[in-house]
Formats: sequence, structure tokens, C-alpha cells
Amino acid sequence: MDPAALSSQILIGLSRAMILFIVSAGLSFVLGVLRVPNIAHGSLYMIGAFAAFTVATLLQRNPAGFWIALVVAPLVVAAVGLVIERVLLAHLYQREHLMLILFTFAVGLVLNDLVKIVWGADYRSIMPPPLLSGAVSLGDISIPRYNFFLLILGPIVAVAMWLFVNKTKIGKISRAAAVDREMVGVLGINVSWVFAAAFVIGCFLAGLGGALVAPMTSISLGMDHTIIIESFLIVTIGGLGNIWGALIGALIFGLTQSVGLLVLPQFAVVFPYAAVVIVLWLRPRGLLRSVW
Amino acid sequence: MNKKAFATMTFVLVTFALLAACAPAPTATPVPPTAVPPTAAPKPTEVPKPTAAPAAKLERNIKVGIVDTYTGGPAVYGNDALNGWKLALNEINKSGVLGAKIDFVTRDDKYAPDTALSMAKELVLQEKVDVLVGTINSAASLAISAYAKEQKTPFIVWIAKSENITGKSGHRYVFSTSENTAMAGKAGAQALAKKPYVKYWIAGEDYEYGHAIADSAWNNLKQLKPDVQKAGETWWKTGEPDLTSYLNAIMTAKPDAVIFATGGAGMTNVLKTAKTIGLSDKIPVWVHTAIDHAVLKPLGANAPAGVMGTMDYLFYYPDTPTNQAFAKAFQDAYGTPPGFAAFHAWTTANLIAEAFKKAESLDKEKFIDAMEGLKAQTPIGEVEMRACDHQAVLPMFMGVTKKDAKYPDFLIAGDLVKVEGKDVMPSCDDIKKARGQ
Repeated sequence: MDPAALSSQILIGLSRAMILFIVSAGLSFVLGVLRVPNIAHGSLYMIGAFAAFTVATLLQRNPAGFWIALVVAPLVVAAVGLVIERVLLAHLYQREHLMLILFTFAVGLVLNDLVKIVWGADYRSIMPPPLLSGAVSLGDISIPRYNFFLLILGPIVAVAMWLFVNKTKIGKISRAAAVDREMVGVLGINVSWVFAAAFVIGCFLAGLGGALVAPMTSISLGMDHTIIIESFLIVTIGGLGNIWGALIGALIFGLTQSVGLLVLPQFAVVFPYAAVVIVLWLRPRGLLRSVW
Repeated sequence: MNKKAFATMTFVLVTFALLAACAPAPTATPVPPTAVPPTAAPKPTEVPKPTAAPAAKLERNIKVGIVDTYTGGPAVYGNDALNGWKLALNEINKSGVLGAKIDFVTRDDKYAPDTALSMAKELVLQEKVDVLVGTINSAASLAISAYAKEQKTPFIVWIAKSENITGKSGHRYVFSTSENTAMAGKAGAQALAKKPYVKYWIAGEDYEYGHAIADSAWNNLKQLKPDVQKAGETWWKTGEPDLTSYLNAIMTAKPDAVIFATGGAGMTNVLKTAKTIGLSDKIPVWVHTAIDHAVLKPLGANAPAGVMGTMDYLFYYPDTPTNQAFAKAFQDAYGTPPGFAAFHAWTTANLIAEAFKKAESLDKEKFIDAMEGLKAQTPIGEVEMRACDHQAVLPMFMGVTKKDAKYPDFLIAGDLVKVEGKDVMPSCDDIKKARGQ
């Protein structure tokens, strides 16, 4: 196999894994702290992409337009998340999991239709900012600059999440609430707002993933389907609720797909799913420790 | 959490993840577009009036049931078709069809064949529609087609492109007013056979349409130019958002040319990624519908130039008065130029009206007899409903994406060539063979 082809495929696979990681980390965080399997996570990701489109298009002439979109879009999604949590979800934490799944599933459907009402059914597209257009050459391999940017951003988000969960007070409370929410409540902490914060952070990450994928794809209705299935698989193989597990799961998913393409291109779709099956067969509870 | 509960959870999650892809959503009928101003829609074509005094009157209005996709990515075509249909009905109902009007109801199939089938059943059994019309999804169209045959209710497919609809799985009760993969593949193969490329790579979305168009293009190309070789194939799942790794892998294999077999949002994705990673600059690319306006418009001026494509309708070509009038009426009514789906829907409405006029009855069998061989005027000329396979004989346009001074905001197709439908359709004998008759 051509080493240049292999290395460029690996780099592209890694950059794909970064978006998957960011989205899955949000899902995993909500799953870990709130114990809510948020099926609407994919729809929130889609809203992130559409919001990024709107902001970037409005600020077309501004060279910083894309960067503003990258900040504003996740905030929009986080705001949507806050409303969902405060108005609806906050009253349902005591229900059993099946109810919560049904609830978030319904929220996803409502959000999808809202996206159609707000943005219409047309396909949308934005381009990477001038700074990230074109390709980077590293020796005899070349990959799009935007993918290179993702390779840098992914680890930054991972470290930021780690610092947040381990070094900040609210992060520590979230972790404690994940283990024993009654105990945290007994200690006089307002668990309700901790949960709201955790849900909003999860939504922010979904929105960030959507905004990041926007310059690489056609933004369209239905883009929530693929991502929600993939991120649930990633979270499951990584260990439910474990952020590092989400990172490892995303890397497995991204790399098996991109390297698989060089081995057996017509069956490349199968590789990530085969990897999931193997992981679950060897370690049914995921690679890293699940918080459940 | 114990193991059993975890297993249950996982099962439920997967079930819902799958459901999310095909489950019914709580939607009402599609958002109605702004009403057409009665004077804004000039009739683009002259329909020849029957000379004999029409004595027959229909006893009630004609009822058409539309099953199509108004949710998710394909909704852009579903809405386009519905607008074209409404524009046509607006005109038709002004003069009426033998004293009656054409009424219609719509159902959203969510792009899922099973939902489409249950919607079709509801339309036939509850709404008692005279004619079924739909859908963009080939698998859904095939499912409804089988049901239409059982119920002896005519079903007209207006967007879906699988050649099996009027080919292998065709029968008396199914019609297609859309072009199909057999026609598109042959037209594309004719263009490619004239080029010097030998080593081809085939890549596309892993679903009925993707494989049908790829097989058709490849088999026709192989026949026209036996020395072509297939260097490899790549298939990704529909809705795959990031195609960089797929297209990069194809580029490293260095084929002479690539045939992409995708549709809709996937098509926009392919063009965007091909341009981003430089594939379209290095390797010639052919895709059916690459020159579709719905695909090119989102990319704006950033769409790749030089991509070869085929298309069954373009609002700017042929530049005839009838096509201009249709495009203008549509633009005025809906604020966007008509896509191919709108064109097919407009044609379908006119064929239905003409067929009922000819049949002089609401009887379904008489309607089918009237449809066979029926000719109707369309914005791009006369279209015939071929009697042997119920496939509309439509022309195909081949071109290359390019920038044009007249349209600064998006790319259009240049170097356009018209291919007549009869030159790319399978013969009636081929159809008989395919149906095993």
C-alpha cells in the first residue's frame, strides 16, 4: 500500500473522528450526569449546522464570519437546550428510562419539523473561511486545511472537557451527581441547576459539532439520523458516560472507516460497525469504565 | 445498573435509532406555498381542443391522492413537485375537465417505503382516490406499485427513477412520468464512450437508486466501449455527511474518470467535497443530476466547474417561449425556478386531465386505456406515454457545469446537448423480456 495514501487517509480519518468525538462527548456527558439517553441530540446537531449557515451567510463579507458562526451556533443550540431542560425535562427525571427515551425521541421529531419551518427544505452549504481553504502539504501527502484545523481543535475540546469535569466545582458536582444524586442533594446543592448546566453543555457540544461539520457537507434536513446512530454506538463502545471513552470510540469509528476504504472500498461502510461488534463482544460494557 | 437492564436499554436504543430513520413524525400536510395569483400563470402550452362537442360530463370531481416525501432531505423535491402540480391544476381547474375539477390530497411518507404503502392504502380505502401519484423514493414507489396492481388503481410515479418501476416490475396499473435509470445511464454512457478514459471508478450511495444508475451507466458503457475497465467501487451509506475520506481514497487510486451514483443532498456533498480536495480538478467526473439546479444552487459560486452531468429538465434550456413561460409562472408563484420534479408533476397533471377527457369517464380501466399512447404538451415539447411499458418518452439533456455571466450566484450547465427519449429508452421487446413475458 502506498504510504502517502495511507497517511493521508489516517489523517482524514482522525479529523472525522474529532467531530464524532465532540458530538459523542456531549451525548455521553448528558448520559453520564443526567442518565438521559438524549435521542434529540442529532436534531440539536442539525440545528447547530443550520444556525452556522445562517450566521456565516449573514456575515458573508466579514472575514471573521465563520469564526463568529462557530461561537454563535453552539450558543443558539445551548439556548434551545436550556429551554427544553427547564420547561420539560426538569419535570421528568424521576421517570423510568423508557419514558425518557420516548420523550427525547419526541423532542427530536418536533425539533426536526421546527428546522423545516424555520429554514425550509432546501439544501444549504457554507464554505470554510479563506484561512482554512485549500490543502496543507506535509511531505508528499496533502490534506484539506479544514481537516487539519479539526485535528488541532479536537484535542483542545478534549482537554477543555477534562479540565471542566475534573478541575471546576460544577464539574466535580456533576460527577458526584452522576454517582449519587440524592447524596448531592442532601449536601445542600441545588441538583436541579447542576442538571440544567450539564444538559446545556451537552447541547453546546452537539451544536459545536454541527457548526464544525457545516463547511464539509451539504446542510440538509435528515442529517440528524446518521449522527445519532453513530454517536450512540461510539458512546456504547467507549463506556456510557465516559468522556475519554467517547474519544476512543470516535477514533475507532473514524479510523476503521478511512483505513478500511483503502483495503476494501466497496465494503468500507461495514468496517466501523464490525469494529463496534468486536468491541462489544470482547467488552460488553464498553472499553472504559461506564459510569452506569 | 445490572446487565439485563443494560441489555434492554441497548436494544431499545437501537430500535429507536432505527425508528428515527423511518418513523412517522407528528406532521400535518406540507406548508402550503403562497397562492398563485390568478393572472400570474399564463398557460405555457396550447392543448388542442377536441373538435366534437363534448357531450360527456363527469358525475363528480376527480380525486387524486399524492404520497410523497415532505420530511427530511428529499423534501426539497417533494415540495418542488407539489408546487408544479398546483401550478398545473390552477390552470386545468379554470376550464375544468368535462365539467369537473381535479381535487387532491397529500400524504407524507417520510421517505420510508412502509409508511408510503400504508399512506397509499389509506388513500385508496378511506379517501377513495381515483388515481395515486408519488413518490421520490424508488423502493416506496415499487411498494405502492404492487399495491396499486392488487387494487386495480392507477399509480403514476413522478420522481422516483428506478428502471424497475416500468421495467421488470411494471404492470397495467403503474405509469412513470419521470425519466429512469435505464435512460439516464444510457445517455451518460453515450457521452462517456466518446471520451478517451479507460480506467473507471464507480462510487455512490448504497441504495436502490445509487446501484440502479451505476449499473445502468456501467453496462451501457461496457457495451459501447468494451475496453473500459472498472478500477474499483466505493459505496457509502445514504446521508453520510463527510465524504472526504471516501473521495481521498478514490483520488489515491488514480482512475481515469469517476462515475458518481448519488442523489439529492448526497449529490451536493459529492460536488462540494470533490472541489475541496481537488478531485474534480484532477479527474473527470460524470454524475446523473450533477447539473440539477437544486444540487448546484446551495454551493453557489463555489460549485466545481467541468463536471459532466445529465438531466431531464432545466429551466433555462431549451430556451423556448413555452419553457420560459413555465419557468416564469413558477418563479412568480413560488419565488424559485422550477426543478425537474416540478416539471414532471406539471406534466403528470396535464396527462391526467387529458386522459380523463379522452376516457369521458371516471372508470379506472378506461382511464388507463386513455393514458396508453396519450400525448401531452409540456414546457419542453410533446411527451408521449408509451403504451407498451407506461413510461413517458422524455428527452435528456447532457452538459458540463460552468459559470455563466447571466447567473452570477450559481453554476449552470453549458455545452448542452439534447438526447431524444426514444434513443435511450429500452425497446418494448426488452421490456417484455425483463418482465418475463
